[in-house]
Amino acid sequence: MDNFKQKFIEEAADLIEGLEKALLLLEQNSEDAGLIQQVFRVMHTLKGNSSMFGFELIDRYTHNLETVYDLIRNKKLKLSRDVLDVTFASVDHLKQLLDESNYSDPDFITLHNSLIARVSKIINAETVVETVEKSANQDIIPDLAKEEFTYYIRFEPINEIFKNGTNPLYLIDEIHTLGKALVFAHLNRIPMLIELDPLKCYTYWEIILVTSADVATLNDVFIFVEGESKIEIQRVSEEDILTDDFFTSELTRIAKIHKDIGIAATMKVAEAAKKRFLQSKAATIKKEKVGLKDASISSIRVSSEKLDSLMNLVSELVTTQARLSLFAEHNNTPELISISENVQKLSRQLRDTAFSIVLIPIEHMLTRFQRLVRDLSNDLKKDVVFITEGADTELDKTIIESLSDPLMHIIRNSLDHGIEDTHLRLQKGKPKQGKITLKAFYSGANVHIQISDDGAGIDPDQIREKAISKGIIPPDKKLSNKEILDLVFLPGFSTAKKVTDVSGRGVGMDVVKRKIADIRGEVEIESEYGVGTTIIIKLPLTLSIIDGLLVKVDETHYVLPLSAVDKIYAVEREQLYDKFNNVLVLEGKQVSFFNIRKEFELSDSPLPVEQVIVVNFEENRVGLVVDSVVGEYQAVLKPLGKHYKKQEMISGATILGDGSIALVLDTNKIIKLFSRIEDYTMNVNSGNK
Amino acid sequence: MNNEDLSKINSFLSFKLGDEEFAAHVGKVLNILEMTKITEVPRAPEYMKGVINLRGTVLPVIDTRIKFGMPPTEYTTNTCIIVLDIDLDGESIHVGALVDSVQAVLEFDSSSIMPAPSIGSRYRSEFIEGVVNVDEKFIMILNMDAVFSSDELSNMHDKTKETEGSTAIVEIE
Repeated sequence: MDNFKQKFIEEAADLIEGLEKALLLLEQNSEDAGLIQQVFRVMHTLKGNSSMFGFELIDRYTHNLETVYDLIRNKKLKLSRDVLDVTFASVDHLKQLLDESNYSDPDFITLHNSLIARVSKIINAETVVETVEKSANQDIIPDLAKEEFTYYIRFEPINEIFKNGTNPLYLIDEIHTLGKALVFAHLNRIPMLIELDPLKCYTYWEIILVTSADVATLNDVFIFVEGESKIEIQRVSEEDILTDDFFTSELTRIAKIHKDIGIAATMKVAEAAKKRFLQSKAATIKKEKVGLKDASISSIRVSSEKLDSLMNLVSELVTTQARLSLFAEHNNTPELISISENVQKLSRQLRDTAFSIVLIPIEHMLTRFQRLVRDLSNDLKKDVVFITEGADTELDKTIIESLSDPLMHIIRNSLDHGIEDTHLRLQKGKPKQGKITLKAFYSGANVHIQISDDGAGIDPDQIREKAISKGIIPPDKKLSNKEILDLVFLPGFSTAKKVTDVSGRGVGMDVVKRKIADIRGEVEIESEYGVGTTIIIKLPLTLSIIDGLLVKVDETHYVLPLSAVDKIYAVEREQLYDKFNNVLVLEGKQVSFFNIRKEFELSDSPLPVEQVIVVNFEENRVGLVVDSVVGEYQAVLKPLGKHYKKQEMISGATILGDGSIALVLDTNKIIKLFSRIEDYTMNVNSGNK
Repeated sequence: MNNEDLSKINSFLSFKLGDEEFAAHVGKVLNILEMTKITEVPRAPEYMKGVINLRGTVLPVIDTRIKFGMPPTEYTTNTCIIVLDIDLDGESIHVGALVDSVQAVLEFDSSSIMPAPSIGSRYRSEFIEGVVNVDEKFIMILNMDAVFSSDELSNMHDKTKETEGSTAIVEIE
């Protein structure tokens, strides 16, 4: 039973999330009947499920909410701001209700009862608010236009019709242009050849037409033959019954046997068809109701533990496969080599598939932010719109999980400190409504997430002053704008003049930076004073595997992320040692380089020729000198563990085919460290410890 | 096995660092490995010897001798890596400890464990759970969680005396 309950809770959480999403949309577009329907549906499902699994509180609660939306659906109640506010509060409450341990909390019960009271109040107020009729009528008109009717048309031209130059087929064609038509041409009046007068028309037609046009329009078609020919037009059904297979086949059958259908028979068949039509229509509505579920049938729910263990197994397989390849290479058996190559191919495919499984679109966390912006902008009395782009960008689920908090913080900052008050915005000549944009996109092997606002921006002078007053930088220190902005990532650096409830509680951008660094990401900030701020988060696609370049320095293997590697050059050692400055000229360009042996305090290499790996570092190209390059390598990243937490330049380790360990280097960190770029974050961090 | 069950077991693994003998509760010991090639991690503290591959996972190895203020371990045929399960900030992590040799598994009643002398000890008192006398030899029982917590960057050999003068540890060489 507990198992089922767990399933219910999972499903309910999904439903509630869907509900929140629909509500946010509904707020933008409160007249959308489809969305109201969707909200109602979710509540209905939630109600049904919860009563089934004994969550009585949820059952009763959603029952009331459902009533509210039923009233709205039937235009008996207007979807007011008040209703939406209560619904949003209810969404939060429902989330809490899923956790049964809350039930014993007296505060929780008080909240529960007060919310129920609010909802009931809305229901009871229903009779008072009856002013929605007008808008209801408006809604119906466009619906009418789309409706289609089925007509029966009998067209019996007089025999002499050809004489005034009319081709009856043209008329039939014209009817055809009005809609869908089923035409029966009756030839039974055509006499034997002897008696046939080629100048006379013996054929007559019966047409079943489905169109949105009215009878007058149809009559117009026959305007020139009217009076002479026999024309009968009759509406047989208010629906499009031509879609009914039985209707058409029955008519065809009658036409074959009786040569003539006649209006009476048509009506009779149409009546039967109508009944079936209404039934099937009801069925489609039902289908639409469960549409949400139908859509998800192609996917299944798998616990994340299972996925994690799948990922682990795949990682193990990749490692083992590397061993097999190595073994096959040493054992010159042709058959073994081909098998090992096959295994390599398969495991690579398996790896890619498995990794794509754990990638989920960032859309999953966006609802939360929409909600945050909505609630906060209300609290702060600011008019702010939250726009998302690239919501289908996919990321590793563990990354998404750890990304939520930092993003929340950034958006909160933008709302609180970035976007100005409405009157200030108008003064500055900005649009009244503030804008926060979250944009996600792929960039090489990375995913970038940009959060920009069109708010006040950051005043570099203010940051500078503050850094000086806090003793972080000496007063005479010259810093570029970018360097100044980077200061906000320092611990304890909160620039807001007053600490508000929303943000600025001492935990600032440094926490954001650290959290992002935990998932091997980087944060950058760009800001133009008075215009707005953009924060860019660069993230790896996945945490557990990277395509790397395997190199050797002294006795140790290292892996460099292939995405950072630009080119590799073989350079003679004279050029690398005893130089005044560490600059090489490669292909006519100066490239500064670092000798890894030297930086790692190892003895100089005895090799006559060493390899310089040129990597991209920010906007520059920097060379790293290693002894030799082994080749491309798929590194399954394993953490070095807490003991090596301080070795920031090493992002992990990987196990090579022969069972030995290679260290995975973080090229950005390593270059920063080697070049001793003044990273205040590091200074302050080490100062604390 | 939970901690309660573990504490009922009175078995200890004894090992040697230089001439001194220490012991750790067997509940903390996962494995004893022969010495293998250790991949050095650059720019790490000296006592952090590097990492090894323990059946597909990366295990950090610590030179226990350096940690205890002795000269670095010289590798011999007896050198072993004891794989320990350490509780670090409520998280269970695995660490390899380099020791000169593994001696035996000893059993003794918890009542025979004497408190460590707080004065005259060469080692910081929070690292020592107690001392036991086996065959006229004193074996120090270590609190492995405390010894191998990563925050304990300083040698076990007390160097923090200046800052923590109140801890009543006297350094006797």
